[in-house]
Amino acid sequence: MRDMISNFLVERALENKDFYVLSGDHGYALFDKIRKEAGDQFINTGVTEQAMIGAAAGMAKTGKKVVAYGLACFIPMRVLEFIKMSICYEKLPVIILGDGAGMIYTTLGSSHQCAEDIACLKTLPIKIFSPADKFEMKLSLEEAYSTDFPCYIRVGKCDKPTVHNNGPLTKLKTNIPIHSSTNTTAIFATGSMVSTGLEIAKKYDLSLFSCPILSHFDRSEFVSNISKFKNVISIEEHSIHGGLGSIVSDLIAEEGLNARLMKFGVKDHFTKGVGSYEYAMKFHKLDSESITEAIKNAGIV
Amino acid sequence: MLIDETAKLRKTILKMAYNANSVHIGCAFSIVEIVHTLYSKFIDIKKLKELSTHRDYLCLSKGHGVMAIYANLLELGILTEEDINNYFKDGSSLTGLADSHVPGIEVSGGSLGQGITVATGIAMSKKIDGLDSKTFCIVGDGELNEGSAWESIMIASHRQLKNFILIIDANSYQAMGRCESVLNMESFKAKFEAFNFEVQECDGHNLNDLENSLTTLINSKSNKPKALVARTIKGKGVSFMEDENIWHYTRLDQDTYNKALSELM
Repeated sequence: MRDMISNFLVERALENKDFYVLSGDHGYALFDKIRKEAGDQFINTGVTEQAMIGAAAGMAKTGKKVVAYGLACFIPMRVLEFIKMSICYEKLPVIILGDGAGMIYTTLGSSHQCAEDIACLKTLPIKIFSPADKFEMKLSLEEAYSTDFPCYIRVGKCDKPTVHNNGPLTKLKTNIPIHSSTNTTAIFATGSMVSTGLEIAKKYDLSLFSCPILSHFDRSEFVSNISKFKNVISIEEHSIHGGLGSIVSDLIAEEGLNARLMKFGVKDHFTKGVGSYEYAMKFHKLDSESITEAIKNAGIV
Repeated sequence: MLIDETAKLRKTILKMAYNANSVHIGCAFSIVEIVHTLYSKFIDIKKLKELSTHRDYLCLSKGHGVMAIYANLLELGILTEEDINNYFKDGSSLTGLADSHVPGIEVSGGSLGQGITVATGIAMSKKIDGLDSKTFCIVGDGELNEGSAWESIMIASHRQLKNFILIIDANSYQAMGRCESVLNMESFKAKFEAFNFEVQECDGHNLNDLENSLTTLINSKSNKPKALVARTIKGKGVSFMEDENIWHYTRLDQDTYNKALSELM
């Protein structure tokens, strides 16, 4: 997935002299290629997240297409108000790339873990993408690049298995069917959790939808899919508040659907203890075994 | 003694503030001469009206001084008497803090320490495009408490944004008191020199002084960004408002309005 992002940035930089990538001194190897092949179009502003977002806005105001990159725990979290006023209020087509979202940085501690980005941005007029694999990432980048609206792309755990295994996707949809079943239970998952959802869906023959667009999505598509099922399970590497689970919950309540919802995500607490990514997933009960146990206990499977 | 033009601008500000029951009068009065000098001597008004990409930008980062900009935009014909008379009326368009949705306002400066970051991006873009036009940015001395401002100051310096001209409205007050007692940041001159800016300091109410200092900075051959520390008086122009911080947040009544107006006749 990271090669895909890197290549996308280089290709756009080479074809569009007004395309710029800004980073607040983060990104390392992700930017090796652009620094080598279009070095003038990569700007490291230094460890200045707030000024970087303002600079991205100022450059966008003067006609540049700008990607503003950072770790999700800082971009958008640290600079939320700068995104609100300098980018969203101005309706500037800046692409914000929030890397390392979720629990990836388990060894570094809570400062670098991020389960709040979607919830915070959901309150703003910005299109939010949460791609599950390199295919969804490519389409997210392409859509963000071609739109004239602010966009956020959440970059989560990148080395999880691809979920679109029947060849490249051609269209990004609100709900992309990954596994289909006649079972009355469906999983709606986003980002890194789609591959976890796929393990469970295959094992218990459940339907699974990937949800790569978390704001400004096709509401009727979402409602129509939820309404086909008796039990709906949402899984996200993000707070259970304000993310995918809340979207599904809102749709069920607002549309008067009959589905029962089980939300899986980070529940109001920081990771305790240090260890592997798998350790953190287990701690937050987001590993497939913990999710399976919970849905078994609920009598769903 | 105020010259006619700046007295007229202050009258417009008073009228707006009185009709709209607005605060921030002292904050606008301290930058009247700065804004007037920029529009009358340094900013290409034709390009501004055309919204040319080659235009000079005036970014009011201390957005609460915005009535000084509105008064000038009225004189330039970018805003109308109707805009001024409708200030704060339901559904009207002029906000109490600088907002880029208003014609002539380049950045939204309501959130302190943020307009300067956008202004820096504009200056970066101009440098990339090889444009020689200027990006002026007015910040408050109190506003410079914000760390984000200094992030941008470092970026402007590192990237040698020579056409970025930062003007510090050094009126010595911030919202709740004297800057020196709330969070003393002097010396601005020494600080900006240390941050690799070319610095001038002047009387921010003296039009000749402002013009000369800005000309010196603009004509400089140096690649450094520029900073003008404009020593101003909060509430300048009305005797009972001058250096009285209550006019950051006090509203005019009939008596104070008439009294203030009479001093500007």
